[in-house]
Amino acid sequence: MINVEKLYYSYTKDNIFAVKDLSFQVKEGEVFGFLGPSGAGKSTTQGILTGLLPMQQGKADVAGFDMKKPPREMFNRIGVSFEQSNVYEKLTARENLDFYKKLFDVPTLDSLELLKLAGLDHVADKKAGTFSKGMKHRLTFIRSMINNPEVWFLDEPTTGLDPAIASQIKDIIKDRHKEGRTIFLTTHNMFIADELCDRVGFIIDGVLKLIDSPRNLKLQYGEKFVDVEYRLDESTKKETLSIVKEEDRHRLNEIINTREIELMHTKEATLEEIFIKVTGRGLV
Amino acid sequence: MFSKIMRVAGIDIKIGFRETTILYILIFPLILAFILKALTASNDIISLNAVIDPSVPSQMEEYLEQYGKVERVDSREDMDERVTKTDDYLGVFWNGESYTIVQQGNEEDLGEVLEFVINSMETRNLDIPAEVRISDVGWTLSPMKQYGGSLLVIFMSVMGGMVIVLNLIEEKTSNTLAAMNVSPVTRKEYVMGKSFIGFVVPIFHVIATLLILDYGDIDILKVIVVTLSIAVISVLIGFLIGVTNDDMMGGIASMKAVFMPVLASVFGAIFLSAKWQFLLYWSPFYWAFKSMDAIILKQATWGGIIVNTGIILGLTGIVFLLLNKRIREGLN
Ligand SMILES: Nc1ncnc2c1ncn2[C@@H]1O[C@H](COP(=O)(O)OP(=O)(O)OP(=O)(O)O)[C@@H](O)[C@H]1O
Ligand SMILES: [Mg+2]
Repeated sequence: MINVEKLYYSYTKDNIFAVKDLSFQVKEGEVFGFLGPSGAGKSTTQGILTGLLPMQQGKADVAGFDMKKPPREMFNRIGVSFEQSNVYEKLTARENLDFYKKLFDVPTLDSLELLKLAGLDHVADKKAGTFSKGMKHRLTFIRSMINNPEVWFLDEPTTGLDPAIASQIKDIIKDRHKEGRTIFLTTHNMFIADELCDRVGFIIDGVLKLIDSPRNLKLQYGEKFVDVEYRLDESTKKETLSIVKEEDRHRLNEIINTREIELMHTKEATLEEIFIKVTGRGLV
Repeated sequence: MFSKIMRVAGIDIKIGFRETTILYILIFPLILAFILKALTASNDIISLNAVIDPSVPSQMEEYLEQYGKVERVDSREDMDERVTKTDDYLGVFWNGESYTIVQQGNEEDLGEVLEFVINSMETRNLDIPAEVRISDVGWTLSPMKQYGGSLLVIFMSVMGGMVIVLNLIEEKTSNTLAAMNVSPVTRKEYVMGKSFIGFVVPIFHVIATLLILDYGDIDILKVIVVTLSIAVISVLIGFLIGVTNDDMMGGIASMKAVFMPVLASVFGAIFLSAKWQFLLYWSPFYWAFKSMDAIILKQATWGGIIVNTGIILGLTGIVFLLLNKRIREGLN
């Protein structure tokens, strides 16, 4: 659905590149997570793939359309949610959606249904200018799905939302995934990426460092450990054991069989730890 | 295509009615028109001044003095001259059977009042009502009403451009432009939709102004042609300022900078002597002013309007070629 080959982009049109030599593919029906710290080039990439930024160097096609000169009808088939919400403040939430709807040549979703989905139905007829940041962000988010897009670009869809609403948004994304939509998800939130994405790409300083599924990455980079606490004489003893190493596994077995266990939990490497391991940099 | 243009236009209109700045722009010119009307109307009402020649009996002279100043001149020629010279004197002479009122075209209403006054005097004192006729010595308006009207009309054509500037800057600062750019609306549809208001607003303003100032039966179709032709360049300038400025303050500063010379060219058309008028030929607003002036004076011919409109569109075409690329880039 998305093919990118040797993509370069420079805002200053010189050799200071915001993205460099980017190549990757997103398959139909896949949720692809684009992860990286601030300024890594995530939004720039999304900008090029949605035609908001011009193609300078390299090749890219989205839903079968060449991004060198994408025809307008491509936009009937993609949806774009922005990092910064952008809605008409003088219009109500419902008017914003109703207006946007009419710009498409394909069947669209019902405005009120969408507002319900994002928990905005109670303010459907309030002007968007009176909304909180999170509410505007949700309005921007649901607007991007109004045309039932085959390819859905989401730039930081959950940033700045409280956990309950973020999880509502996550559920919407999961549902679309089940329906077979292709989703390009930009974020620096590793938990979201871990939960939603089939594959993730790590981008840093405009360069794509690695692409794989969260599961493979964990298998490859994350050693699994178990923290175990047990009674020994009158005190509590704590050990951290690898479940991969042979001798640690024997030791774990022995503890379980012979001691009185007080607490035991597995410690998985998070995507974040893997990111730091791979890129040598944190995510913020 | 048309429906999308109208949708883009519709949103601007909807927002326009909720935006105080835009409402202000819509209402302000009408207030100016009412002010201008108040200023010029006072001339008309205060006095019913008459110039009479020796044919008018002194009885009538005394009678007319109740209503205003009366001046007696020695001949018909002197009377005509007097009538043309200032704008609030009507001439009256008696040809033995009836009175004739001599007036400038703009004094139609006054003429009717005087006619009524003379008739009422005659019917009171004589058995046979005397007939009063009105003869024109050429259509001229008070300078304030003549030029004020045209000036206001040109000024209003610029208002549409201003609304576009405000709308575009708003779309950029709120970045709704990006949402538009990822919708199936083509650039052409977007630009035409955004321009729509730049044509509708001046037409609304201009017709409203002409009605408020009441120039009588002037040719509305010619007015619309001139207004539309001048709106094209205002829209173009509006787009240029809109895309090159990222905030309202900058936009307003640019508007002042661009529209000042424009309005200056119109003032030039009023105050420069014929010899120097060629200095203003570069300005489409000059040609529009000339057309409007002729229309208000009821001297405009379609030939003249078409020539002026052609010049306006030609100049606009040149400006378009110069700005086209810049505007396209700015909308990305
Ligand atoms: N309009 C612009 N003009 C010039 N440089 C820009 C512009 N937008 C972004 N950049 C630069 O390009 C680089 C990549 O920015 P980009 O917005 O793509 O990062 P990002 O990964 O989306 O970051 P964030 O997580 O903060 O959204 C940064 O160095 C940024 O400073
Ligand atoms: Mg970003």
